[in-house]
Amino acid sequence: MWFFRSPQIVFGEDSLSFLNTLDAGRIVIVTDKNILGSGLIDRVKKNLPENAETFVISDILPEPDYDNMLLHLDDVKKFNPDLFIGAGGGSSMDTAKILFALYERQDIKVYDITPLVKLNLRKKSHLIAIPTTSGTGSECSWAAVVSEKNEYRKNELASPEILPDYAILDPEMVLSLPREQTINTSVDAMTHAIESYVAKWANPYSDALAEKALELISNNILNVLSNPENVDSRNNVHIGASMAGMSFSNSQIGLAHALGHSFGAVFKIAHGKTVGLFLPEVIRYNYKSSKNKYDKLNSIFPDNIRKPSLDMTVENLFKKIGQPVKMNAMSINEDYYSQNFDLLVELAENSTGIITNPEDIDREGIETIFKKVHGD
Amino acid sequence: MASFPGPEWADEYVKALNGNSEYKDAGKTWEGDITFVVQPDDRYSKKWYLYLDLFHGECRSYKASDNENDIKKSEFRYTGPYSNWVKLINKEIDPIQGLMTGKFKLEGPMMKIMRYTKAAKEMVNTASLVKTEFEA
Repeated sequence: MWFFRSPQIVFGEDSLSFLNTLDAGRIVIVTDKNILGSGLIDRVKKNLPENAETFVISDILPEPDYDNMLLHLDDVKKFNPDLFIGAGGGSSMDTAKILFALYERQDIKVYDITPLVKLNLRKKSHLIAIPTTSGTGSECSWAAVVSEKNEYRKNELASPEILPDYAILDPEMVLSLPREQTINTSVDAMTHAIESYVAKWANPYSDALAEKALELISNNILNVLSNPENVDSRNNVHIGASMAGMSFSNSQIGLAHALGHSFGAVFKIAHGKTVGLFLPEVIRYNYKSSKNKYDKLNSIFPDNIRKPSLDMTVENLFKKIGQPVKMNAMSINEDYYSQNFDLLVELAENSTGIITNPEDIDREGIETIFKKVHGD
Repeated sequence: MASFPGPEWADEYVKALNGNSEYKDAGKTWEGDITFVVQPDDRYSKKWYLYLDLFHGECRSYKASDNENDIKKSEFRYTGPYSNWVKLINKEIDPIQGLMTGKFKLEGPMMKIMRYTKAAKEMVNTASLVKTEFEA
């Protein structure tokens, strides 16, 4: 027995106008200062029902810890909302999920948000996610990533009940996404699709979404980078990224995420960049057990990118978009790397991505992949 | 061949767990006890408990019994019907999917155990290493 879970998806041009059809009068919007400053929240507000009152939380930090996420919980309770909107990248959407859960259930603690506890949410409010990047997949997932203060570790809080009711995928919200973030988040999305496709929990639903996600992203990402304001290409990558998010949310991620989480936490490098860094080497590690599925994915890439095997194809596409696949291309501090090598291995070893990777891996195997990507 | 559930199986399991270097490494900072609880079903009519005192990658002591009163109260309990334990030992059920689909129940502080996913996985892997015979 297994499940397929998804929010209702509103997509395409003008999909923000869906907000106006909602029966909501007191709305909490969770975002960050950059998104607020870009004017995107004004667009969201313009589409809200007439006379709706809003309470905007705009100080969510990248990779927030519990303190940052819960800073305004008391204010939220006083505001008494009937709708939460997470508008931004993964951090804002994940914070909206946590605030929503703790507002709905004021008797629980953040650690009670697990798939093993029935929370009975949605007695007072609902949850909408509006991504402003094309990659995290948070709008379609039932997890929220929370950093631990003064630690390298991140926790993944998960409950089917924090899956948004709606995900709104309006290409207007990503048209001005900077080039670097466009690359990082698209690499994250492609890694979601490839890892979910071969994960131990992969299933026909997650497979179908991963295939289509990869098709949409690989056929459009180069055009997005050369014509960032091309709405059709942006829309395709945006939809592809959400499909990849839905795919991994229903089958889980793998070793590239385990290694990338570890490397990103220690070196403070963007998530998409670090998971992509390890992806080709992880594909090579898994090739024996996943050859047929990898070959199928390889056939999906456009002819001008495809190479004889998936690892080579991914490297080729990454090279074209400027995603590194070796650490020496990232100018890391070599002394810091050597000093923290054991920590890097340990963090990867305890990441949940290890559990669902198609091939088991031990400490020595993790060390070997780090060394290969380092160029030893 | 050790019969599951039973004292011989408990002996063999703990021996295998303490010989598992991957578990020793993954659980090297873990301090806490857990009880495996087998619930009766169509194939097995009794309850069975295996208490494990786990400390820094090692099982320091253990006790198996079909009487709950013989067993210390532990921080965690991992509970499921006999037939699901058979599937788990035979690697036919993923232990985490088993929890999420209600085939097993885990009681205890979730935040603590979430930090030890690898150790939890190795505990299950170890069960499948024990040469086991089951009730018909």
